[in-house]
Amino acid sequence: MTEDWRDRARALGLDRLSDEHLAQFARAAAGLQRHLERLPRDLPPGQEPAHVFRARGGAA
Amino acid sequence: MSAELGYLGLAAAAELIRSKKLSPVEYAEALLGRIARHDSRINAFIAVVPERALAAARRAEAEIAAGHWRGPLHGIPYALKDIIDVEGIATTAHSKVMTGNAAARHAAVTERLEAAGAVLLGKLSTHEFAVGGPSFDLPWPPARNPWNRDHFPGGSSSGSGAGLAAGFFPAALGTDTGGSIRNPASMCGIAGMKPTYGRVSRRGVVPLAFSLDHVGPMTRTVRDNALMLQVVAGHDPLDPASADEPVPDYAAGLGQGVKGLRIGVIRHFYAGDIVGHPEQVAALDEAVRLFAEAGAETREIALPPLQDFSACGQIILAAESYAVHEKWLKEKPQDYGTRARERLLAGAELRAADYLRAVRWRLELRDRTAAAFAGIDVAVTASSLDPACRIDDDAALARNYWRQARMPFNVTGQPALVIPAGFSGDGLPLSLQLVGKPFDEATVYRVAQFYEDATGWTGRHPAGLAD
Repeated sequence: MTEDWRDRARALGLDRLSDEHLAQFARAAAGLQRHLERLPRDLPPGQEPAHVFRARGGAA
Repeated sequence: MSAELGYLGLAAAAELIRSKKLSPVEYAEALLGRIARHDSRINAFIAVVPERALAAARRAEAEIAAGHWRGPLHGIPYALKDIIDVEGIATTAHSKVMTGNAAARHAAVTERLEAAGAVLLGKLSTHEFAVGGPSFDLPWPPARNPWNRDHFPGGSSSGSGAGLAAGFFPAALGTDTGGSIRNPASMCGIAGMKPTYGRVSRRGVVPLAFSLDHVGPMTRTVRDNALMLQVVAGHDPLDPASADEPVPDYAAGLGQGVKGLRIGVIRHFYAGDIVGHPEQVAALDEAVRLFAEAGAETREIALPPLQDFSACGQIILAAESYAVHEKWLKEKPQDYGTRARERLLAGAELRAADYLRAVRWRLELRDRTAAAFAGIDVAVTASSLDPACRIDDDAALARNYWRQARMPFNVTGQPALVIPAGFSGDGLPLSLQLVGKPFDEATVYRVAQFYEDATGWTGRHPAGLAD
């Protein structure tokens, strides 16, 4: 179990996590998974996300 | 006298200062004295800055004596959640990770408060990086609830809520990404406003999740809250999410009552999707009855399920907060406290497609909420579903994160104000949340002022802090 999570963490560049941290990583991922299961899978392809980016107008 | 000044409201103090009946220096000295006597039991402060405060108070006093009163915050003591920058003072975010991080310049909100002549008393405890707490494994202890020190003060703006309830200052700023102004407002029995997204600049505030972060005022009364928002609200071209919308006079409508207003009741948030503590539900039902009795038109409205907002918000929060913290989590994960590290690691494996699905879903939730608000002026619902739990009860604290109805309005960006709504049988604060249409904080304050006047809950203060 821990080795699996260590491999997953290393693949993300998180190679300084202790065993205690890896257990937290596993719990955190499981918690998020419960939220991901509620995500709608049938959003229309053209439905855009919320944006905050605004292009700057005029010459810089 | 110290306790009287400790629980003096911003508006009342401003009038006394303007008319030269209260010296800003004596006021600041009195509050610094209360902090020195009591904060070792409350832990509201990370850092108190008495010399800076007294210098600012002396400046205010001299200016007012010379006839240059700047406005209601001139000479008023305040404090900042310690993720908000003050030039020359460390911003710690209550974390070892930020050790030695002296701010090079003021946050936008600090600039506005300083320009208004307010008097900074210090920097306040927070859950680490505004996400993980309460924690006992950090360089500073967690804030305690003044109503009962064994109980949770809410968070993440824990020092702001606790310090207000303890009578250490009349005004503070907090931040709110998933409810972090409104949770301590609920737990500590004070008023906390999460304004409309973009209403208050976030420049110079340590980010948690860019598209959910809000800065807002925390005070003991509704009028005080409106006065503080008046100063910090407004467009900031250096904050990419800042809204260029006019700022109305938030205090203008405070005495107008609720007659003729259409007040929606989002009851399924606290009596359907999740079932609240009976005393909390009874307080909300009584508030609705009061509004109706005073001539408001009240009716239930239906929004998407609370759990949909929570899921959408938590996915966005996980992705955006991991983007902020990835470098530090890779380089020094041991420097985080346990709770913050666990919450921040949640975003490490999140797929880009799922994040984008959440931000697309967000617009759908926003639009469905806007449709439900089309026939009303303001909505009332729960904030916390329970009174404060014990601060050492891990299982109850975990439940606290989910038994709340705050995240919906981080997702939609609407203004949401929490105010006291009575007390539990154990003497702990109950609360209600009022939600407005985007940029209509004024109507939210109007309804809140009516409720505050009708109930008088803000007149009560915790025991044991009299001197």
